[in-house]
Amino acid sequence: MTILLKHKAVIVAGVLSVIPVQSVMAMNGGVVLDNQNSLENGYTLVAADEKNKLAQDFIQNIGAQAVSFLGNDNLSEEQKTSQFRALLNDSFDMRTIGRFAMGRHWRGASKEQRSEYLDLFNDMVIDVYAGRFSEYKGQGFEVVSSRADGKKDFLVSSYIVPGNGSKIKLDWRLRHKEGQYKIIDIIIEGVSMSLTQRSDFSSVIQRGGGNVDVLLDHLRK
Amino acid sequence: MNRQINRPFLSLLFFTALTAMLLTSCSGTNTDSPIYDPFEKYNRHSLKMNDALDKAVLLPIAKGYRAVTPEAGRMVIRNFLRNLNSPVIIGNELLQGDLKGAHDASIRMVVNTLAGFGGILDLASDGGFEYQPEDFGQTLATWGVGDGLYIMIPLLGPSTLRDTAGRFVDSYADPLRTYLFNIEEGHLQYSRTGMEVLSGREELIEVIDDLRKNSFDYYAAVRSAYYQRRQAQIHESGGEMMEIPDYDEFEDE
Repeated sequence: MTILLKHKAVIVAGVLSVIPVQSVMAMNGGVVLDNQNSLENGYTLVAADEKNKLAQDFIQNIGAQAVSFLGNDNLSEEQKTSQFRALLNDSFDMRTIGRFAMGRHWRGASKEQRSEYLDLFNDMVIDVYAGRFSEYKGQGFEVVSSRADGKKDFLVSSYIVPGNGSKIKLDWRLRHKEGQYKIIDIIIEGVSMSLTQRSDFSSVIQRGGGNVDVLLDHLRK
Repeated sequence: MNRQINRPFLSLLFFTALTAMLLTSCSGTNTDSPIYDPFEKYNRHSLKMNDALDKAVLLPIAKGYRAVTPEAGRMVIRNFLRNLNSPVIIGNELLQGDLKGAHDASIRMVVNTLAGFGGILDLASDGGFEYQPEDFGQTLATWGVGDGLYIMIPLLGPSTLRDTAGRFVDSYADPLRTYLFNIEEGHLQYSRTGMEVLSGREELIEVIDDLRKNSFDYYAAVRSAYYQRRQAQIHESGGEMMEIPDYDEFEDE
């Protein structure tokens, strides 16, 4: 009942335009916060800005490289694929992604299972992304912003802009490690590839009676 | 005539509010899948059927549609259908207390209907008023209603109890639908729904192919993707924050 009352209150509040004030505040919240930060701690903010810029450049650069050989007609399909694999291998933090995808089952896995899993997972991700990127048909690619997420992560927002049709929102989660940026997740219109993969893997293991080998069997195929 | 329209709508609204209250108490939590799915066995069966039907009927039609209609033509149809849905979007923005959203959606409707030749051109988008889908499921979510249980509905696809209730409300509250039935042109409403299904499926060809190809357990992948997509839409409507996976526990020791 209280919920229903609250709803009424929200609607009334909306009509009395209390809500817009809140939403405007929420919208500007980030900016206000930044200003405060810059007053109190100018150096940190500059450093953070610099890192955000670098994260953005990192994605921009990957986009440019991918476009340069995907659109290069002088290269054979095989050459494209192998160049692409190399690029992906360099840019993804496979270990972090792999561990995340296995979720809580990682702890129950033996040393041999873990290392075989990481190898197989590596191949699989390269295959999957090589497949996804090969569908690229010359759409525009815009990197729009980057923001820090936690201590080491950055979320870089970008759009794929087809000549006709709606833009597709693509967020990249990057981890800054040992002076390098690595991709740890790609989020397409709000759907995280890593999270989806983790649900998939964990369901496979659970339905196999909690046995990690069942997942390994799938990966071996 | 008024009474005829309002009565089912009001009873549905009441039903939804009731279900909503029940739902908030029973949204399940599980570390690996935040979706409460007590009917998984039934749902898996349902997905199998939907999938078979999709591959046999809907997907081929969607591919045919793509083959015979150039992208510009499909865009026109998409714009037109979206514009028809404007009243529902504006209503939901208001119910969410989002006056700016309602304002933007109204501008979209007026500009696209008048200057965009009845909605076939999305001129408002170029002017910075971009399409932002809203439905009653999202409205309920911004009111604090949880997802409730996950259901794979035969023919319709993945949903939750909350989103299904929302769908009913949107459908019955849609003034265009009521109008078409009142002037005894119900077949137009059916054509509209049919086109929405076809256009929506065509847009998703790659996404669904990708999920089918790259998942071991397609059911789990669909469930996760559906849930995340809804979270993202709700987040855009000002509801709870999109869940961001915490990778820190997976750091190297």
